[in-house]
Amino acid sequence: MRILRIFYRVIIETILGVKHSGWSNWLVISILAISLTIFGSILQLTMTLKNVVNSFGSQMIVSAYLSDSYEPKVVAKDVSQYPEVKMVEVITKDISWQEMKKSLNVAAIKNPLPNTLHVTAKEPDQVTELAQKLELLPSVEAVKYPMMVAKRINEVRHFFEIAGVFVTAALTTATLTVIGNTIHLVIQARQREIQILSLMGVGHFYIKCPFVLQGALYGLLSAVLAMLVLFCVHMYAIQPYLTTNMANILPALPKGVGYSLVETFLVMVILGVAVGAGGGAWTSGKYLKI
Amino acid sequence: MIRLQNVSKTYGGRPALKDINLHVALGEFAFLVGPSGAGKSTLMRLLYREEMPTAGNVFIGGVNLNKLGSRQIPLLRRRLGIVFQDYKLLPRQTAYDNVAYILRALGVDEKDVRKRVTSALNVVNLEDKASAYPDELSGGEQQRVGIARAIVNGPPVLLADEPTGNLDPATSLEIVQLLARISERGTTVLISTHDHTIVNTMRRRVISLKQGEIITDVDSGMYEVEMSVES
Repeated sequence: MRILRIFYRVIIETILGVKHSGWSNWLVISILAISLTIFGSILQLTMTLKNVVNSFGSQMIVSAYLSDSYEPKVVAKDVSQYPEVKMVEVITKDISWQEMKKSLNVAAIKNPLPNTLHVTAKEPDQVTELAQKLELLPSVEAVKYPMMVAKRINEVRHFFEIAGVFVTAALTTATLTVIGNTIHLVIQARQREIQILSLMGVGHFYIKCPFVLQGALYGLLSAVLAMLVLFCVHMYAIQPYLTTNMANILPALPKGVGYSLVETFLVMVILGVAVGAGGGAWTSGKYLKI
Repeated sequence: MIRLQNVSKTYGGRPALKDINLHVALGEFAFLVGPSGAGKSTLMRLLYREEMPTAGNVFIGGVNLNKLGSRQIPLLRRRLGIVFQDYKLLPRQTAYDNVAYILRALGVDEKDVRKRVTSALNVVNLEDKASAYPDELSGGEQQRVGIARAIVNGPPVLLADEPTGNLDPATSLEIVQLLARISERGTTVLISTHDHTIVNTMRRRVISLKQGEIITDVDSGMYEVEMSVES
């Protein structure tokens, strides 16, 4: 009970500290929220790309586009004899054309699409080898498989990851400076009060803890703001756009790719609170003379 | 209760205290007197570990303050009541809350806080001003709040650093008499002052400092006598 009562008093001291900070609270929260929004956007993008890559990676289908002069069923029979092939599915040019006409408003022209074989490999690491083998067949005009796309996306993801580290480091430094300055101002304003508390025998924990909690509170509120921004952007801009246009952007994208919003939000809260509390701890350690 | 052994303190080579040896027993009431710059406040700051001696040892209740770590200093200060010349009250807190602050910070149950704060305010005769803010109180009343805060935790030692420095003579005497009554309950009280009148009126132990040295230490002494003997 005694610990709870002390904690309760520390919370009250924290609230008083926030009250004394006035307008600078909003300055800190805004800057930290902007930083967390940028960080969250990059994080969500890289996590979504990772999900896309993983989804592609788990697809072991190679699409082989056949020359019109070959009978698809005959080619399919030959291909199904390969040791790495699990299954071969024939998609005739007529079926493909029907599908395309269903989803797109195409002009009344002669069917330009080729016959296609969807060849499923037995193991993921056989996909590349199988694609190379199929490419060598005279009946095959072109080969595509999701791992090719996955590799490209992975390169983009790595770029964003590296950029994300630098951007996050820069924003964290800027945010720490702003939090530090704000808490430094609070400490200066309360210097006499802090000196009195110290002379009365109030413990260091009791004096310092409100500054750490104040920083953590800034982090939490900023994270909530940043999450709200990201959530709205995701729900009202990104998702509707992707739903209508994804088929054109990435035709081979598997359905149901996760956007990792929950994970992103969790990391944002943890980072926000950690940066806020860290800023508070660092500043109180540096400027509190007790 | 309070013991200083060969204590010296220098600031940048300038001596503030020179080889001080002093003992104040449990429940004793003593004045530490001397002109400005004599070293009274320095000696007081050593007692509540605001400063460390350059040489020698300071003991409170048998504990060597030189050996205290920074985390133990608050524990020491809770065993001391400290009264300051400028009262050092929290301006945004009422008299009651000022006195209650340390108890609440220690996690004392609110019922117990109420009992102890009311009792401390009774001792200093300020129960009717409990809800007043410091700027609504006179200097004497503010100092009495400071004393109530110093005694609320029941410390065995009470240090008062120039407690009457900002008060008129009549109020000063009232404050010192109040401290004397607290001492009668078994608390060791050490008051630093350069107020001749109160020292001479009280006729208690007087430790005289001059230029950082104890020049006299007399039971039932008088300020002017001791200082004039020295000069």
